[in-house]
Amino acid sequence: MEVLDRGDAEFHFVDPDDFREYVRDRKNRNWEDKLMDESEAVKKFVSDGDYLAYDFSSLTRGPQSLIREIIRQRKKYLWICAKFTLLESVLLAGAGCIDKIDVGFLGFGPYIARKVQNGEVKVYDWSNGSITYRLIAGAMGVPFIPARDLLGTDTFKKSGAMAVKDPFTGKPVALLPALNPDVAIIHVQEADIYGNARVYGPTVATLETAMASKKVIISAERIVETIEFRKEPNMTIIPYYLVDAVVHAPFGAYPGGTQGYYEMDSEHYLMLSSIREEEDMQRYLEEYIYSVDSHEEFLEKRVGMKKLKELIKKAQILEGYR
Amino acid sequence: MKEFTDVEFMICQAARLLEDNKTVFVGWGMPQVVALLAERLYTPNITQVFEFGAIGPQSRTPFLRGTMGGPQNTYRSLQWCSMGLAFSYAQVGYIDYGMLGAAQIDKYGNINSTMIGDDYERPKVRFPGSGGGNEVASYCWKTIIVMNHEKRRFVERCDFITSPGHVIDGKTREEYGLPKGTGPWRVVTSKAMFDFDEDTKVMRLIAVREGLSVDDVVSDMGFEPVIADDIQVLEPPTDEELRILREEIDPYGLVIKK
Repeated sequence: MEVLDRGDAEFHFVDPDDFREYVRDRKNRNWEDKLMDESEAVKKFVSDGDYLAYDFSSLTRGPQSLIREIIRQRKKYLWICAKFTLLESVLLAGAGCIDKIDVGFLGFGPYIARKVQNGEVKVYDWSNGSITYRLIAGAMGVPFIPARDLLGTDTFKKSGAMAVKDPFTGKPVALLPALNPDVAIIHVQEADIYGNARVYGPTVATLETAMASKKVIISAERIVETIEFRKEPNMTIIPYYLVDAVVHAPFGAYPGGTQGYYEMDSEHYLMLSSIREEEDMQRYLEEYIYSVDSHEEFLEKRVGMKKLKELIKKAQILEGYR
Repeated sequence: MKEFTDVEFMICQAARLLEDNKTVFVGWGMPQVVALLAERLYTPNITQVFEFGAIGPQSRTPFLRGTMGGPQNTYRSLQWCSMGLAFSYAQVGYIDYGMLGAAQIDKYGNINSTMIGDDYERPKVRFPGSGGGNEVASYCWKTIIVMNHEKRRFVERCDFITSPGHVIDGKTREEYGLPKGTGPWRVVTSKAMFDFDEDTKVMRLIAVREGLSVDDVVSDMGFEPVIADDIQVLEPPTDEELRILREEIDPYGLVIKK
């Protein structure tokens, strides 16, 4: 194939055969109880230097309790895959956990803008679609996926994509390199103890992210019986054999919302997104993350039942979401 | 006639452009409000498509900013799918209209939503980046761009091309491999409306806001647009449009008061 053009950015890449071997040797097909708390799941399955992907957004069904645990354990040198990211990247950058962000949409508050300007965090521009297609390629076990995203743009030049002459049509086409993260963290409405999981509402890249990743941690609002999946198999988004750990995390997406369960806490979110100075960020991290030992303690001591009940009450649109 | 803001003006102009029984890929923020207004008044059978994977929702109002993937905006969808599939609907040709905002636009309709400055590593201003804007601009048959009319936003060449227009650095979008027959279709601003000249693909002024002259519009641009032979007048928002916007869709003024 004739290469017409290529972007000049560094990108995370895993040979599909290496990924297959990992899946053969390291992914467990046993029906075993994978229920554990955040602390154990992150300790076991997130390592310094990992390429980390998460699903959905900062505001809806994001894995915020797992993000806070990653910060609490002071993981380092992470490279995160962020189709869209608002508070995750800000908190992880504030805590010194990340070096690099692959970004579709980066909600640049003043705090992270400075981190990027100073070169403390490196941003690699893609787009939401191209990152998603990269995950699909990773989930297909192929080294790249042809698509027409990014063609003719400066985003292309600053990416790891390539343009080639398509051998079928003779027209140019973009090749997006497959993306196989080291670890995926995904919050869902329901999971069983083995890791079967389902979500209500749009899925963004839930299955693709889980399938493409070496290690998968699921957090769930509810733990349900396996028979629930067998009753409505078309609702199963993730089958158990993709999953390494299941964490029971009610309010796991807080301060974001989870459809059918609770709305986002806009006040907390605004307080967080208005942080500009380093010392305010460090004070936030100390108060809300480092000074509590667990997600439960965070909910009890820093959020409180009154607020949680309020957010449940605000989730008035339940139809179809649970 | 009621007073209205520039944003309200743009929302109403854009809403009048959509056609019923078509599909529209809706970007974040102002485009969401445009689609809601159009659905309420002009195009009840339009199918809204969102990158989060909500297809054809009957989104609840009042509009709440920031929760595009939440239950409010994805309520009573026809389908909940993945982002890859939502963009594939557009890539394969099912999506008629796309609607986007932009920080900067050039005369061929290329869009910048990434950064301002000449050094990518050390930008003067950094924006969020593409989001799904690249895909909307690349794949929808007709893309509508809605943006404030300011000289610094209408430039000879964007500081950074996030999403493709008709001609990029001397080559057509088709020569880059983008689908034939797609691209920016209308640019709606606080002062005017543009399409693109068929031969040169340069932005062409086709209508101006009531009370403004062609000069008022062109003097506020960083490049020379083509001027159509027959310039239309953009009628101001109607009382009905303003009432629905202010009372039903955005009573908190999250978008219309910006």
